[in-house]
Amino acid sequence: MQNKNAELIKAIDVSKQYRSGEIMVDALNSVSLTIKRGEFTAIAGPSGSGKTTLLYMISGLDIPSSGTVILDGKPVSAMSGREQSDFRRDHIGFIFQSYNLIPVLTVRENIEYIMLLQRVPEGERRLRVSEILEEVSLGGMENRLPTQLSGGQQQRVAVARAMVSRPDIILADEPTANLDSHTGESLIEMMRQLNERRGMTFVFSTHETMIMERAKRLVLLKDGQIEKDEIRSQGPGVRD
Amino acid sequence: MILLKLAWRNIFRNKRRTILSGIAIGIGLASLIFTDALMIGMIESMIRAATGTFLGQAQIHAGGFRETFEVEKTIHDLDNVIRQLSSDAAVKHYAVRTQAFGMISSPANVSSIIFYGIDPAMEKHISKIDEAIQKGSYLAKDTTRRLLIGSRLAETMEVDLDDRVVITTAQATTGQLSQEMFRIGGIFHFNVKEMDSGVVFMHLEKARSILALENDAHEISVTFHNTDQNADQFLSFRERYSQGGNEALGWRDLLKELDALLNLSDFTKYIIALILFGIVALIILNTLFTSLYERLFEFGVLRAIGTRPSGMAYIVLLEALSLSAVSGLFGICIGLIVTYTFSIYGIDYRGIEFAEVTFRELIYPVMTVHQYIEYPLWIMLFALVAGLYPALFAARLVPAGVLRRSM
Repeated sequence: MQNKNAELIKAIDVSKQYRSGEIMVDALNSVSLTIKRGEFTAIAGPSGSGKTTLLYMISGLDIPSSGTVILDGKPVSAMSGREQSDFRRDHIGFIFQSYNLIPVLTVRENIEYIMLLQRVPEGERRLRVSEILEEVSLGGMENRLPTQLSGGQQQRVAVARAMVSRPDIILADEPTANLDSHTGESLIEMMRQLNERRGMTFVFSTHETMIMERAKRLVLLKDGQIEKDEIRSQGPGVRD
Repeated sequence: MILLKLAWRNIFRNKRRTILSGIAIGIGLASLIFTDALMIGMIESMIRAATGTFLGQAQIHAGGFRETFEVEKTIHDLDNVIRQLSSDAAVKHYAVRTQAFGMISSPANVSSIIFYGIDPAMEKHISKIDEAIQKGSYLAKDTTRRLLIGSRLAETMEVDLDDRVVITTAQATTGQLSQEMFRIGGIFHFNVKEMDSGVVFMHLEKARSILALENDAHEISVTFHNTDQNADQFLSFRERYSQGGNEALGWRDLLKELDALLNLSDFTKYIIALILFGIVALIILNTLFTSLYERLFEFGVLRAIGTRPSGMAYIVLLEALSLSAVSGLFGICIGLIVTYTFSIYGIDYRGIEFAEVTFRELIYPVMTVHQYIEYPLWIMLFALVAGLYPALFAARLVPAGVLRRSM
């Protein structure tokens, strides 16, 4: 995953059905999507349109019912559970809707966690944590527990946790859903700046117009199918 | 290290649940520690009661005497055996005895008995006959025509102190009947049915005279300086004195029923331990699963951000280990306090007869190091085994499945 503009993730004709009680739900229906390095992509659509399922598919968190997802040139279905974990650890950063920090770990430990799995030396870990906390404007809060932070601050820690391992791509599942509009807007602004400054690839699901408007690329899902996939002419960070 | 930190802090997330589980496991462990200590104390007390009352720690007889109790089967080369015992550094005390079947008759009744000829001075060091005297007095030097009779036997014979009784027995070699009249010098009460209802003690010389044994004896009872009932001394004693047609036996050989009971007590202890460990395992299993289901989304997140399936299993196993360690520590403290308290004040089982042995003293639980190391380690091992299933469950979680289900 070193080449610029290389395909990071490719989903080919992916469908997913899962059982919800007695009913089989068609979450995705023949979806094909390619994510390239440096993109700032929003996957948008109403609730139940398959946004989260698509994110889980392209991150290897879930296996498609049919079709292929290729991560780092290798089909997910050909990877063992351990290989999938290692791939996510080294190449993908996750931001979840409801922050999902580990409540018993401090801000520093939450951010360090992935680096510990990667066996990053302690000195470098400390340096990276300090840098990233400054970057997300949480300097001095490293020893706090998540419960001692506001929702917006927790989501910033989640962003820091996703970024600190220097992944190739950050996948965010409705990252602003639990934030007020002002905090949500500043979070998206922060992500956009990271995309611009570091060239970090972001793919996030949303149903909020404000966030859709900030995306370089907008993939619109409806009933598990891609209804629209457009590169936005105005570029990242520029409002209509 | 981070997984250990995570596991350790996780068990304190739901403090009430952890405290309740910890108390349950801790009390289980403390019960096990106390039961073990009590059983050791009880066994030691039983052995002391059995060996200290009259039996001694070991005995020497002529080979085959214990099977037939024939009067003429006396200890071979008695003088030489006594010389050896006198110079044996391991031997603390010994007492020479004759032992024979006979009949005791009073104006009111007749009863079969075992009568022992004892050396009152020697016997004081070996048995507790003198302490068991309820009425009258122990055998004195100048009272060869007096004997000691069990309390129940005295009732049967309807005799009291200074009353006359006649002992009838068969003499050695000739088999001719021999009769001798005695007065009751003392009535003893061991609180052991067999002793109190069927045994009579008389002077050794008098018994020899009745039995026409000259200077022979049937039994030498021995105690050792080392009071450890399981020491190797029994083996060496057996080897040293089972010679020249004699047979030397330790108390375990002499008291087969008690020996069987002691073996059974080990087995019982293992059964109790197994049941307690099983309960502990179920508590841990329940706690882990409850905790796991509460944190399904968190487990999904951990998997999503790159924790390997084995890492997930480690977290659960480390939680099981942490919980058992905390509970174990609690159990050790409780066990220590309870056992120590009872080891000071004792438990009163006096007068209760069990396996033909009557407890004559308070039972003091005995604390040993293994109770505080071995049992907590077993608890931790069982916790790990109990944690395997939830660990496997955590390792096999499909991240998307739990993330979707928890939302």
